[in-house]
Amino acid sequence: MTAASVAAPVLMQVERLAKRYGDQHALTDISFAMNAGEVLGLIGPNGAGKTTLLRAIAGIVAADDGQILWRGTALPLPRRREFLFYLPDGVRPWEDQYVARVAELFAAIYGRSEAFLADTIRSLGLAPVLHKRIAALSKGYGRRLLLALALLTPHPLVMMDEPFDGFDLRQTRDIMNVLRKVAGSGRTLVLAIHQLGDAARVCDRFVLLAEGRVRGVGTLSEFRAQIGQPAAALEDVFLALT
Amino acid sequence: MRSPDTAAAHHAPILPLLAKELWEITSGRALWIMLLILCPLVGYSFFQAVSLYREASSAGQDSPALASSLSPLDGVLVPTFGGLYLVATLLFPFVAIRTLGSEKESGALALLVQLPYRVPTLIFAKMAAILGAWLAAVICAASALAVWLALHGHLYVPETLNLVIGHLLYGLLVGAIALFSASISESAATAAIVTLAFSIGSWVLDFALTGQPGVLGWISRLSLTQTLRAFEQGLLSAGLVLGIVAAIGGFAALAAVWLHPGVPVSTKVIRSVACVALVAAVIALSTQVALSVDVTEDRRNSFPAADQRALAELREPLIITVHLAPEDPRYVDLRRNVLAKLERAMPRVTMRLATGGQSMVGSASDEAYGEIEYSYAGRLDRSRSTSPREILPLIYTLAGRPIPAPIAGQDYPGYPLVANGSPALAWFFGGLPLLIVALWWRSRRPPQIAAHLIKNGDQA
Repeated sequence: MTAASVAAPVLMQVERLAKRYGDQHALTDISFAMNAGEVLGLIGPNGAGKTTLLRAIAGIVAADDGQILWRGTALPLPRRREFLFYLPDGVRPWEDQYVARVAELFAAIYGRSEAFLADTIRSLGLAPVLHKRIAALSKGYGRRLLLALALLTPHPLVMMDEPFDGFDLRQTRDIMNVLRKVAGSGRTLVLAIHQLGDAARVCDRFVLLAEGRVRGVGTLSEFRAQIGQPAAALEDVFLALT
Repeated sequence: MRSPDTAAAHHAPILPLLAKELWEITSGRALWIMLLILCPLVGYSFFQAVSLYREASSAGQDSPALASSLSPLDGVLVPTFGGLYLVATLLFPFVAIRTLGSEKESGALALLVQLPYRVPTLIFAKMAAILGAWLAAVICAASALAVWLALHGHLYVPETLNLVIGHLLYGLLVGAIALFSASISESAATAAIVTLAFSIGSWVLDFALTGQPGVLGWISRLSLTQTLRAFEQGLLSAGLVLGIVAAIGGFAALAAVWLHPGVPVSTKVIRSVACVALVAAVIALSTQVALSVDVTEDRRNSFPAADQRALAELREPLIITVHLAPEDPRYVDLRRNVLAKLERAMPRVTMRLATGGQSMVGSASDEAYGEIEYSYAGRLDRSRSTSPREILPLIYTLAGRPIPAPIAGQDYPGYPLVANGSPALAWFFGGLPLLIVALWWRSRRPPQIAAHLIKNGDQA
């Protein structure tokens, strides 16, 4: 965690966001803020509403209530793709295409230079599979490709759903380093993670989510102070607050 | 809102998006399988058509009248392109659905709608890919024209182009319906069912309602197959083209309305109602556009040239009152042989049905049933004929004009051809499928990867 990121100005605010599926309340009165240049962890168990929340912020699902503010100004749905990019979990897009072709497509759409594309491919270790079809990729390489696509976008805020899913311990650490570098370059990352150990290693601040409600927002130190356990791990904090 | 930290949303180039859509449609099996199935369908249709044309031409060697009625449009082109119609109706929807259906099923839609393009631009790119795929099918079918020319067959360019345009528009309309179906459906299978419901529903309308009076008759004209009829008859109708283009635009617009998963359903419904209302208004307007051109070489949709000129000079309104039920075969004859031609030849023609859309059973007891009244410049005459040979002199008499003398040298000569269509079988069952397979194989090859992307392959 960097002190600078915690003290950074608020980039985006989620205010009173709510989403229902019939009688089921998937999200209720969700409010929190994201600071420029930080890595914000959205943590919670399966079914807590992490994916729904990210999709509602990105405008991929229609929220029933609430609003998104960008630097204090309401951000309507048609303009969200200009400011933030959401990387979904569990998708294998354009399976019949070759990895190189899709990576080059994103680079061309967003006007990225060949050097930037090459650097992104190198940082995510995608070179060995550039000539492969996406359908033929392993789960880990499929996830690397998705991360590459997200990193090729120029958005100041990138939200990733389970970015470490499919990676082993070493690969997870490598990807964490990549993401920390991205955050260091000034981009804000919101990571939905259900593995609390991973979240504790990579995130500056956390939003604790359970049963569609925010149970806490802050740094690990702030949570520890809140529950009165100075040495508590994130797992302990989560169990105490949810 | 304009912030320095926004992504370059409004300046994204369109070419990468178009290229992506073309990759998507060519990388799937659906397009290639459709083209492979198209080959024998068109090939055998062409072979059969040439065989029948040869038999008719052989008979025409002894009968100049029969020879002069032999037109390649009816004898060869329309039957050959019949295979293309079948493919457009039953197979092309699967190709068009793929442009969106696979992205919905794989989850790529969530990425697609975040790309820096407006939703109408995304749909435009998909429609462009659909057009490209359909052009490939039309080119395969149109290769029969090259074979026909190689057999020393005759082609009249305007009527041939008109037929090709008709099939292009029909395919694009089916593609737009398929794209709309994919937009409202969660799976490609459901989208296919919705699209086929349109096509098969059109056939039901054709079989059950064509020729029916009143509202039923009007509904029957909404059938998709109606879009091709005029083109097959050698008519280029501005109203029909406008109506088809409006329908294509309408379905594409509806696809855009329903594409984005983040827009509430209530908003989508409101936008859809507005879209349907606008398209309905344009289609209604298109029915009032009477401009049409007879592009056939034999001028089958027009009177002889001398009559065309004479009728064009009649400036007063001609009012025709028909005492026939719409489903009466005499009315169908009158409509095809006289009324439709008069509407194109004369500047001011008004036609009304005295039966008010009643059926033959309800109207037959009327003593005037079967009569057709012609009113011009305050003068009135009646006839029961449906032949222009009797009706045109009647109109000239009402107008106080002499019957024009025929213009010599304008008769359609006819194009009999005794040819063997077997070479077409070799092309459509051998050469063309091999060419398609070769292109399919080529489309599946990996792209050239720049050396600098591979060179620094290891992860940092």
